[in-house]
Amino acid sequence: MRAWTTTLIAAAALAFGLVAPAAAGPAIDWDPVFFYGSGITPTNSPLGSQLIGVGTVSSFGPPLEFLNPNIGPYEYTIYVFGLISQGTSPGPFYLTNYSGGSIEIREDTTPDASFDANPPNAGVPSDFQDGTPILTGNFTSFFTQIDGLSAHNTGNAEGNIQWTGGTLLPYTGPAGGEPCPGLFTGGLTYYPPVMIPGYLYRHDGKIDFNCPTPNAPSTWGKVKSQYR
Amino acid sequence: MKRLAIAFLVASFALGTVGARMADAQLLLVDYVGFDYEFPDPDPSQFGEAGSGYNGVGEVPGVFAPLVSDPSKEHSYFITGLLQTNTQVFGTFLVIDYTPGTLSVYEDSSTPLTYGINPPNATAPSTFTDGDQILTGTLTNFRFVFNTANGTGSYEASFEATGGTQIGNIPLNQRKGWTFAGATSNSTGIPQGYYHQIDGQVFLDNAPTPGIKGTWGQLKANFR
Repeated sequence: MRAWTTTLIAAAALAFGLVAPAAAGPAIDWDPVFFYGSGITPTNSPLGSQLIGVGTVSSFGPPLEFLNPNIGPYEYTIYVFGLISQGTSPGPFYLTNYSGGSIEIREDTTPDASFDANPPNAGVPSDFQDGTPILTGNFTSFFTQIDGLSAHNTGNAEGNIQWTGGTLLPYTGPAGGEPCPGLFTGGLTYYPPVMIPGYLYRHDGKIDFNCPTPNAPSTWGKVKSQYR
Repeated sequence: MKRLAIAFLVASFALGTVGARMADAQLLLVDYVGFDYEFPDPDPSQFGEAGSGYNGVGEVPGVFAPLVSDPSKEHSYFITGLLQTNTQVFGTFLVIDYTPGTLSVYEDSSTPLTYGINPPNATAPSTFTDGDQILTGTLTNFRFVFNTANGTGSYEASFEATGGTQIGNIPLNQRKGWTFAGATSNSTGIPQGYYHQIDGQVFLDNAPTPGIKGTWGQLKANFR
């Protein structure tokens, strides 16, 4: 009886978030993604212009922790394209919303990705488009916001992804369930010393699978009362 | 012979130029991800309120040269000591300034990093600050910009490495740099009592210039 009660309380504690969450890295972490786009400046993205991003994955966490981007011959690339500007708000906070847009994450056994200057060029984005797609999806929202008051030209970018394909699509949601949305997020900078000519922003970010969590604050008293 | 000497001088000049350009480059030192919280936190319903202190804990998946990391150990960071000094409101944007604080990096193999809830608590920051403190430094001009309309923002600060077991790996004249991070409150994985998910980096202003060992014979051979 006592064992049954302990199990029940442990399960309830998990369900109600009473167990301290342990650290687990992002599902997909990168450094960096570089963005570029014709006619776009760091503080102005004219209506209708397209934002493109290329990057390399630096680490994987749960539920993709079985992938290791630091062991050859595997290279994991990120390609973001088709984000169409809805125009940029006036400063000093330059907010740009984008419509559309897609993302592809690929596994390549012939590593060749390099952030060649002044894209598009012979290597960008093509070096980031080869290999096997492990995850593909479409953005349901995306924005950049740049702070015109910062000393290091910083800001952030974020978007939500609806996953649609790739060999690892089943990992984006619960077993047997629908894919969870991906949250693409992180910091932006266009501080010249960390930039490559021809690119707009350097993005340090990650993607997590933003599964809904049926979690609610509670007390031991409430938990116990449910089983009395 | 004269032609060789001229070529050698031209090559030396070119090498010197390249070296100068490399010295201007910035070096990615640390890449970190985690969560932030306020302590003290006079009003938990607000972020950046008067009297609040900014803290951050998390993992460090990237430790880069000249720091040396043991991949068999976990790496963590702790940002603390930042007290709110001023909050400006521009529409939906908050601009929050802080007193100087510190950013430290730890290497540990004993206790798993555990965020817990409602920090500070029994595991945070303690499980993020045990082990060897391999780097610590001061943060100044720390500024957090946050858009309450979309729940995201960023921060930046100047950084200067001042201590830690590996401080000697960084030359004295190359210890200044900066940090920045993106912040979001839109992740469903933010533990209770934390405000934002954080993804940030630390750069050094002047990257140590990598040297290449060689002999005069090898150098001359390039021009024969």
